[in-house]
Amino acid sequence: MKNLRKVTLYLTALLTLAFASCKSDEPTQENDGEVITDVSLKFQELNSSNALVGSVLSFKASDPQGIEVGKTPTIQSINLAKGKKYQMTIEVTNAIKGEDITQEILTEAAAHQFFFLGQVFDSSFLSIQYADAGGIALGLKTTVTVSPSTGTNNSSMRVVLRHDLNKSFAGANNPNFANFVQAGGETDLDITFPVIFS
Amino acid sequence: MIQKAAVLILAIVASLGTLSAQKCDLVLRGRVLHLENNQAIEAAYVWVSESATGVATDANGNFVLKNLCPGPQTIQITFIGHKEIKQSIVLNSGTNNLTFKMEEQAVALSGVEVHGHREVVQTTTAVSSLYGDALLQVRGENLGESLKRLAGVTTFSTGSTISKPVIHGLHSNRILILNNGIRLEGQQWGAEHAPEIDPFLADELTVIKGAETVRFGPEAMGGVILVNPAPLPTSKKQETELNLIGNSNGRSGNVAVAHSGGSGKIVGLGYRIQGSTKRAGNIQTPNYFQGNTGMSETSLSSALGYSTDKLGTEAYYSFFTTELGILRDAHTGNLSDLLEIIENGAPFSNAEFSYSLANPKQVVTHHLGKIKAHYHLNSSWKLNFQYGFQSNHRQEYDKRRGELNTRPSLDLELFTNTAELFLDHNLKSHWTGSIGLNLIQQANTNVPGTGVTPLIPNYDLINGGIYLLEKFQKGPLELEGGLRYDYRNLSTSRYLGNALQEKTLTYQNGSAFVGGLYQINPKLAFTSNLGTAWRPPNVNELFSQGLHHGAAAVELGDTELISEKSIKWVNSLEFESEKTTLELTAYANQIRDYIYLNPTGETFVSLRGTFNVYEYLQADAFFYGFDLSGTYSFSKQFNGYAKGSIIRAKNTETNSYFPFIPSDRMDWGLSYSFGKHADKDNNRITLSQVLVAQQSREPDFDLSPAPPGYALVNLGFSKKVKVAANGLRISVQANNLLNTEYKEYMNRFRYFTADMGRNFQLKLNYQF
Repeated sequence: MKNLRKVTLYLTALLTLAFASCKSDEPTQENDGEVITDVSLKFQELNSSNALVGSVLSFKASDPQGIEVGKTPTIQSINLAKGKKYQMTIEVTNAIKGEDITQEILTEAAAHQFFFLGQVFDSSFLSIQYADAGGIALGLKTTVTVSPSTGTNNSSMRVVLRHDLNKSFAGANNPNFANFVQAGGETDLDITFPVIFS
Repeated sequence: MIQKAAVLILAIVASLGTLSAQKCDLVLRGRVLHLENNQAIEAAYVWVSESATGVATDANGNFVLKNLCPGPQTIQITFIGHKEIKQSIVLNSGTNNLTFKMEEQAVALSGVEVHGHREVVQTTTAVSSLYGDALLQVRGENLGESLKRLAGVTTFSTGSTISKPVIHGLHSNRILILNNGIRLEGQQWGAEHAPEIDPFLADELTVIKGAETVRFGPEAMGGVILVNPAPLPTSKKQETELNLIGNSNGRSGNVAVAHSGGSGKIVGLGYRIQGSTKRAGNIQTPNYFQGNTGMSETSLSSALGYSTDKLGTEAYYSFFTTELGILRDAHTGNLSDLLEIIENGAPFSNAEFSYSLANPKQVVTHHLGKIKAHYHLNSSWKLNFQYGFQSNHRQEYDKRRGELNTRPSLDLELFTNTAELFLDHNLKSHWTGSIGLNLIQQANTNVPGTGVTPLIPNYDLINGGIYLLEKFQKGPLELEGGLRYDYRNLSTSRYLGNALQEKTLTYQNGSAFVGGLYQINPKLAFTSNLGTAWRPPNVNELFSQGLHHGAAAVELGDTELISEKSIKWVNSLEFESEKTTLELTAYANQIRDYIYLNPTGETFVSLRGTFNVYEYLQADAFFYGFDLSGTYSFSKQFNGYAKGSIIRAKNTETNSYFPFIPSDRMDWGLSYSFGKHADKDNNRITLSQVLVAQQSREPDFDLSPAPPGYALVNLGFSKKVKVAANGLRISVQANNLLNTEYKEYMNRFRYFTADMGRNFQLKLNYQF
């Protein structure tokens, strides 16, 4: 009986300890690493000998909160001159963490690809070619040619960034590949920019 | 079918009236139970000296003695290891019903076996179990898939590897799973969070289909699943069981070993150690492989027990770890991705077979330890204590960029303490019952460093409950009732952006039940149980705020949600004769303030694209349905079975249907046994078919319509051979023999892919 009392005592002490030590940690702030807050499309004119001339035009889409319900991103209109040829570069950043995601995309070029769609291409107002270093189909750098005679001055361009796709899927080397979903993977960015021709 | 039913009803009616008027025409019907735990005693011998007749009790402890003469009689009941019962009774007229309880004899006597202290659930609600042969057949499957064999139990699954049991249309936090008596506490709220338990540790899987809140605490609203190991040996014997399983689909292999033994020196000391491991690769549908659907799993459990006639103690530990691949294509970036793949009806990725796992995947480990003791204060009163500790660690990896790929995007650690103290009484009169206290404490922590705002906050939860159960048992009648009161405190904290959000919520509720069992005659029993239950809103329902990546959905919780309250009425009729067994269960479950995820019809636009927005709402719900299962022996060799279930669930406020309610289904099969000599069951061939109807009661909003109904054919062969005086059982099973392409409504991946195609399985079970 004495033994039993001892056991009970130890057991009670052990249980008290177990229950008292079971506490959740203080929460910590988590900086969303995956979030893309800013996407800039930078255009610089190319002359007839494909040399860069003039100043850089930058158009931005941003969503400062990353993900917050009820807010929509702000997207600037792209202004381009008819009949001209541009080099377009894309910069992707996470302002919350102050990260340049462009470099990550470049490092993982084998798993990423931009596709360019929308009315500007459907109506042949623009044509686009991948111009990334090493001749890969990535789309961080492209050349864009504006038709000298666009039927309208207002159009739109959809920029899609795909991740973890099969880049050798038939047709996927075309920057205007509309069936990019069939190449597998998932969408990291899907932004439709208004385009104004002057 | 109707004819057969008519014959059956006739048979039931006929067996009801077995009385005729002669002199020595009295019938004594009775039941013999263990005094300690009310478990039936099989093969106890009942002798009436005056009329010199005797009979042994059946598996349920029942016996019938006929043609007894009126007047005083002496009844003598004997069973090894138990005190003999000698009782004088006076028989008057007709049928007499008596219950006898046998007390265990002191252990000191040499040669007497101390029987294992196995806890059995005494309930008047509908119960179904898988054990013995039926359990052997499902060995190697996960818990959800295994329990699908029981009528009224279906699964809510995410692909072929993640499945959660559904009892009468309810799942996740509305049902309870007990791992050797301890409520399993993982992150059950998630649709893609499978229970962290290996069915190999059990020698019996039991499903209680009623609301068992009073006994087991809140959340046991839809039912309870008991995963029970065999009782520990208490005498000197060693047993080892080895299972080897291979599957063609997924090219998986599964090894499980269990060894148990008892000490020869210390009477009452026994142990068991058990482990299993499994590895599988990509699952194949009839026309393609599902990319990244492999898995690996390892589990271990061990138990040590010591029993004397007064004291029973047990220490138990189980470990479970799994790494599960999630179908690559099911992880979509935004709504247009999702809609494109739904329209395609199949994955876009052209996967091949592989064992390797990539993101998205889950890595889960679960530890459970418990100590348990009971002490017989005297022959009627027993004091019980149980303490359990659980640690659950869940990591979910998404396809991400760069270094983030190696970091989980969800990383949760959940610790749970449970303690229970209860006092049982099992009086020599007709009363048994218990009164108890229980305590649950839980701490959930988001492990920092995921780079994703956590889906649910850090929280501490404490739940205290007090309950009282009482049962009256006399002859063919059992009546029971119970009351319980619970109090829960939940305190949460998290960062939303830069702001610290802290919230403390309390919930309290009472629950009660009444139930009864009436053994109409030895073949037919009727049970009825009416119970209330409640479930406080879960943390995800209260606090979700953000993107559910795979589902391309934004889910919004609501901290103002109140507890769900339900009242469930379950009735069941069981018939058992030499050739036929039949079980019919009918139930109705009214749930007030049922919490569900409702599409708002709005979309959320981000740089990533568009997402559907869902919010947690509450509405009154009504569930009802039927389960039917039966077997029939056409001859000694030729047997058949059939079972089916029907569930209806409605949102009675908006008069609409809830998503993911199982459609009507049945399965039936025929088996033929043959073999040489004595054991005619040596060889058995079973042909079965599963029939599932299309869910025509669809919610107003779904991403895609319910898939059409389907029929699957399965064929199995099993053979028992003797190897070195031990039993080796070999079985070969072909599931989905015709390689039918189908989609199950209850599989969340029906949006992306067809279900598993044909699978051949080879299974070896060796006991020595």
